Amino acid sequence: MTNATGTVGPRAPAKRPAGSWRTLRKRQGSIVAFIVLAGVACVTLLPFYWMASSSLRTMETMFSLPIQWIPDPPNWKAYVLAWKAQDFSRYLLNSGFVAVAITLSNLLLCSLAGYSLTKFRYRGRGVMFLLILSTMMLPLEVTMVPLFLIIKKLEWANTYQGLIVPFLVDGFGVFLMRQYMLSIPNDIIDSARIDGASELRIFWMIVLPLCKPALVALAVFTFREAWDMYIWPLIIITKDSLRTLPLGISLFMSSYGTSWDQLMAIAVIGTLPMILLFFFLQRAFIQGIAATGLKE
Amino acid sequence: MTAPASSKDRAVSVPAVRGVRWSLASKQAAFGVAIIVPTLGILAIFRFLPMVQALYLSLTEYDLVHPPKFAGLANFASLLQDPLFLKSARVSLMYVLFSVVPVIPLSLGLAALFNRPLWLRNVLRSAVFMPVVMPAVVMAVVWTFMYQQDGVVNTILSWFGVDPVPWLRSSATSLWAVILIGIWRATPYYMVIFLAGLQAIPADYYDAAQMDGAGTWATFWHITLPLLRPTLLLVIVMNVIVAMKVFAVPLIMTGGGPADSTRVLPLFIYQTAFEFFDMGRAAAMSVFLFVAVMLFSFVQVRLFTRQDDNR
Repeated sequence: MTNATGTVGPRAPAKRPAGSWRTLRKRQGSIVAFIVLAGVACVTLLPFYWMASSSLRTMETMFSLPIQWIPDPPNWKAYVLAWKAQDFSRYLLNSGFVAVAITLSNLLLCSLAGYSLTKFRYRGRGVMFLLILSTMMLPLEVTMVPLFLIIKKLEWANTYQGLIVPFLVDGFGVFLMRQYMLSIPNDIIDSARIDGASELRIFWMIVLPLCKPALVALAVFTFREAWDMYIWPLIIITKDSLRTLPLGISLFMSSYGTSWDQLMAIAVIGTLPMILLFFFLQRAFIQGIAATGLKE
Repeated sequence: MTAPASSKDRAVSVPAVRGVRWSLASKQAAFGVAIIVPTLGILAIFRFLPMVQALYLSLTEYDLVHPPKFAGLANFASLLQDPLFLKSARVSLMYVLFSVVPVIPLSLGLAALFNRPLWLRNVLRSAVFMPVVMPAVVMAVVWTFMYQQDGVVNTILSWFGVDPVPWLRSSATSLWAVILIGIWRATPYYMVIFLAGLQAIPADYYDAAQMDGAGTWATFWHITLPLLRPTLLLVIVMNVIVAMKVFAVPLIMTGGGPADSTRVLPLFIYQTAFEFFDMGRAAAMSVFLFVAVMLFSFVQVRLFTRQDDNR
């Protein structure tokens, strides 16, 4: 890394003649970039294509050579069989409910906390912010054993609240909302106060609407994480009626390990909500992740 | 009744009477505290309390049936002599090292390619981004299928004359199989962060460099990279923490096998706690994991800030 630290050294004199030669080089660069990226896209998309096409294959043609890229004829039976094998509609509902509940509460609590950290002054504010930030360095894998004991003591194992309550708020979300709210001018809030608006009303009617881009990004980010959650439900859920989709899929994998057509059908069903979310909220999706790269 | 240190307080409107001002300021501060209390409460109970309890549990022997028995540092001492634990720590280290190191140049390179005019730019970006959209459990299932002996990965490799690889069946290749899909999923994620970082660099810098006749490499090396250092640091730290937490993929794909070759630390903690019910030992492992995460973040931040000082 040492060679990267040097300041910009004496510049080489311009060697290449400007004009058509340079534009040609530029165009060449674009073509190379396009080819490289198209190749990368093939690698990133192959598992999606393979998952979807295999869900429509029969078991007899699953591994046939040469590769049958397009299943002919498409066979939809795997979806019906898999859907019936386990209570997937219930798992889907559970996952949806848990993810929506976690997302909504994060939107509310993270923006309240962010508002408090940016627009109010009180003793200990800096310490509180540091404490909240430090939870980002505390992976669930470190605390899962005692957290499980706490949930057991609360008798929340095998309950929705056990799945939801520990994740009602998240350090990253607070950080994101705080960073965004720093850009909201204090004058707006002050003048609303002079007009006699209550604090709660100011938050709800003025601050929240101004934070819409950050809220959408946070919502998509949180929903994705909650939908993806695996280790925690695995620990506290044993009742079938409370299983989330990832639990259902892994259970299905362990009991129907080689019924690849049905496994891929279930995999498609588990991915579809995220793909839909991505296509409708593409910008927010990408912004939510770009926001994890925000720096102080 | 004097006004508290509210002279700095820009958020407070300034009514004429001092007494009124005090009550307004304190009322506002009270509201400010009230709205952060739920967050602090939840984090205290579900993040900090478990952390403290993990430290305590690591000093005990506890099997969920009998009450915890104080055992001093016995858990730590026996872990350091347990070949399974040492192997697991080594596997985790390998996973972190080899899934983080390639991801940095790959994601940065992709971001640089996207940060220029390009035919079908948005379509390609969405396509490359797709692995982030796939849930981890689904990814594990789909790749297990693709890694089968006569699966699609080996078929494609055979086009290039590569003999079938026993990906998940052999302890020589299983960890690499898991690492490869870790890279598959992490690269687009960090690409998005790098892309945001690249787009934040003002175009003036590049214009100036071009005026001076700097080539693509010189520009990247002397302008892009130094300006990107904060993003780079963040990506490395995040990437390491995420890699240290990997769990669903090895559990579903291999269960930690064959021959413990993919039993990363979180997986071992999970099995120790919830399959062997040795809570104290699992907590001691968690403490090791925690120290590793902390140490690493600390060292990273130090390294990068020291470089800044020298400049």
